[in-house]
Amino acid sequence: MKILSKNGNELVMLAMKTEVASKGDYLIIEDEKARRKMVVQIYDEEYLSSQSLIEDIVKDEVVIASSTENLHDPLNISNLSKMIRDARVFRVKIRAAIDLSNKLSNDVTWLPSRVYSNVRRLKISELDLLIERKGVFPIPIGKAGTDSEDFEVYAEDLDGKLNIITGKKESGKSHLSKILVKTLVQHGAFVIVFDLNNEYGGLAWNKDGSPSSIQGQIMVFEPGNGLKFSLDYCGKAAISNMLKNALDMPAASLREFFRIWDSLENKQTLEIRSLGNAINTWNINELVRDALISRYHVIQSSRLFSVDDNEDGLRFEKVISQKYKGAVIVISMGKATPVVRRMIVEVVLSKIVDLLEKVIIPPIFLFAEEAHLYVRDTYWEDIVTRMRHFGIYTTFITNQPDAIGDGIYRQVDNIFLFNFTNDTDLDKISKVSLADNETIRSIVKTLPQRHCLSIGKVVYDLPIVVKIAAAEVLTFGETKKFFTRNNT
Amino acid sequence: MIRQLNLRTCGVNPDEFECVFERSLSQCLSPNIKEALKGKKIMFTRDEKNLLPVEGWGIKANPYCTTPVTTIQPIVGNTMVSAIDSSTIQIAETEEGSLYGVKSGVAISIGGHALMHFKIGPILFYLSEQTIGNSEIDHRLAKLILADSDFAKRMIRLRVERAIQMKLSRRLSKSILLVDGSLKSSLLEDRSQNIKTVAENCSLQQNSMIGISKNTRFKILDRISNPLTKIRVPAYMDVDLIVKSLVRNTIGNSLLVKFSSNNSPVLRVDVVTPNYDKDESLGKLLGNDSMVHGYPETLQLAHHISIFTNTEISCLKGHVLSNCDVIELVSEDIRKTLLGSIPV
Repeated sequence: MKILSKNGNELVMLAMKTEVASKGDYLIIEDEKARRKMVVQIYDEEYLSSQSLIEDIVKDEVVIASSTENLHDPLNISNLSKMIRDARVFRVKIRAAIDLSNKLSNDVTWLPSRVYSNVRRLKISELDLLIERKGVFPIPIGKAGTDSEDFEVYAEDLDGKLNIITGKKESGKSHLSKILVKTLVQHGAFVIVFDLNNEYGGLAWNKDGSPSSIQGQIMVFEPGNGLKFSLDYCGKAAISNMLKNALDMPAASLREFFRIWDSLENKQTLEIRSLGNAINTWNINELVRDALISRYHVIQSSRLFSVDDNEDGLRFEKVISQKYKGAVIVISMGKATPVVRRMIVEVVLSKIVDLLEKVIIPPIFLFAEEAHLYVRDTYWEDIVTRMRHFGIYTTFITNQPDAIGDGIYRQVDNIFLFNFTNDTDLDKISKVSLADNETIRSIVKTLPQRHCLSIGKVVYDLPIVVKIAAAEVLTFGETKKFFTRNNT
Repeated sequence: MIRQLNLRTCGVNPDEFECVFERSLSQCLSPNIKEALKGKKIMFTRDEKNLLPVEGWGIKANPYCTTPVTTIQPIVGNTMVSAIDSSTIQIAETEEGSLYGVKSGVAISIGGHALMHFKIGPILFYLSEQTIGNSEIDHRLAKLILADSDFAKRMIRLRVERAIQMKLSRRLSKSILLVDGSLKSSLLEDRSQNIKTVAENCSLQQNSMIGISKNTRFKILDRISNPLTKIRVPAYMDVDLIVKSLVRNTIGNSLLVKFSSNNSPVLRVDVVTPNYDKDESLGKLLGNDSMVHGYPETLQLAHHISIFTNTEISCLKGHVLSNCDVIELVSEDIRKTLLGSIPV
């Protein structure tokens, strides 16, 4: 490979077809004379093209189409000519330089020699050594680079961070999130998943049907089936948040509700049935009563709260204390109505924050699939800013990048970007992402299925294309189809 | 400006030049172009290319036009038409000589359809005193070739073409051999592989050889071609006497031919036929090769496959650099350096 030109922070490089490299690969330019090195990343690949070359190709095609060709070429010039026609131009971004002490530096103000520079592909393992990317809790997520080297991110780089996994439908987002969840749990972390498609239950089973290594650490809860709380456990704050934000209860009705709550609490009869009785008998304005009754019926039908006095209900601290080696709490919301989903999220998040504030539970990794469908707008920034201080480290998984506000993107630490072909989506991502516009637009547009561009702290701000490993666990989230191959 | 600043003009007055020019030129040429051009038909030249008026020069322009026009009837059959063309370029120079590249193309058609084509080359030739000294080339000719690269290129091209023509003329029978340019013997040919030997072979094998020139140096031929430009069918005029009176070393019968109808060009064609039946040879050519804008498609194809592309030239240079253990010197365009260049 040879350097052809430089424009801003990018170089244009000439490569022959035999020089194997692809978009996303890192190259190292070693200037023999200056004894300096530069690390660059390929973000686009084109043919070496000139008017005369195109004319030659067209002419040859026309000639070959018109009659059969016989060649006598003793110097083998036609082969050389074909090599030139297949020559490629790589557009690369300058990412860093390596100083004389072999340390990575940001000093990229110098220009490598076009004559005395040697260019070679940089292995991901070499890049890791250069940037000193290492950790104690590796999460192998797949293969990277043209040599398909094993690639792992480190749990430490997800810890305390805000992450986004985004890409178009069926590009492999859930697949990556399952790998992250599984490995985090294997490393002893506690994970809560808001599972919109009831697919994370598959983490308990391997593809061959045998139990997975984390089967004992997976708990799947759904409304009425494990996901039941006692009113007492939820507390006034969580319930009021739920009434206000998920059920849109007006302030006047909320005040009356608090009085009822306090009264039941004093009598130590704080449970669903008594709440219903109190609302019906309480001396209040009939309109307020109607408002309270309608909300009461939604609460009752949601099956989120234990009706029986003896029913203890779900206690996060209890679950976590039992599973001291890490656990994943999957909250299945696939069958829940949109209102119930919002209620679940309000109650769970309020309770988790409460427990974290009181340092009853350790920090939690939260995985939220298509969160815009159940998290209210004002809650986003709360999750991003306040909750990370309490110890909720969120990973958003979405195929609608525009559903996430710019404010969140600006706070994000890691982005795992799968294929997007839609220009509007790419516009959105490239404007707010941690990497430059050209890299995102060019690489992401051509990413194959299950390939993602990892950007951010996990890759020390050097974007890396990763082929996500095949699923070891059962995949439940696939689209159910009417016409299957067996039916034909 | 000069007058304003009252600069000294070294005693030279520009007006004096005008008088000097007028005086010196009027001794041999008439300066009165208005008179000379009055009422004349004019066709402006472009980049010194050979141009022809689309509708011909008109009756007034050809007082010699007494030659009859004969129409050509296509004879469709299984006659093979082979066209040969080649090109030469100078690749490099050394202190002792020059390196040339040659490329040839042979296109074959039958029944009006292109059958196949052969790309031959590029092949490199190095001409220096030493390499030419080892050859059979005449001493004086060798000096000329080493002194003038145009001669060298012509010699290489001619010899390569003749070698291919020799081969084809021996191998084929009852076919047509199409050659780019007139059929004329040259000093630059090899003694054993010259146009006459090719013509002999053609006669023995009952092949026809047809040389087609895209343009001619003889302006008179342009002037007398007017009846052909007006005719709407393929036709020819015999101009053998005129051509033979102008040039000695041509072979075969010289004609002016229009191969297609309408506005196709009139071309100078030399024909060598086994039985002196030029009508039959031209008819077979028309019947067995397609004519594109009045020019045989095989010859067009042979031309296209024999010319060097920029990529091939770069590849040849690369080949020489990597295989011949040479040291490349930095070069400059002396004209450009001295005169400068103003991009337009």
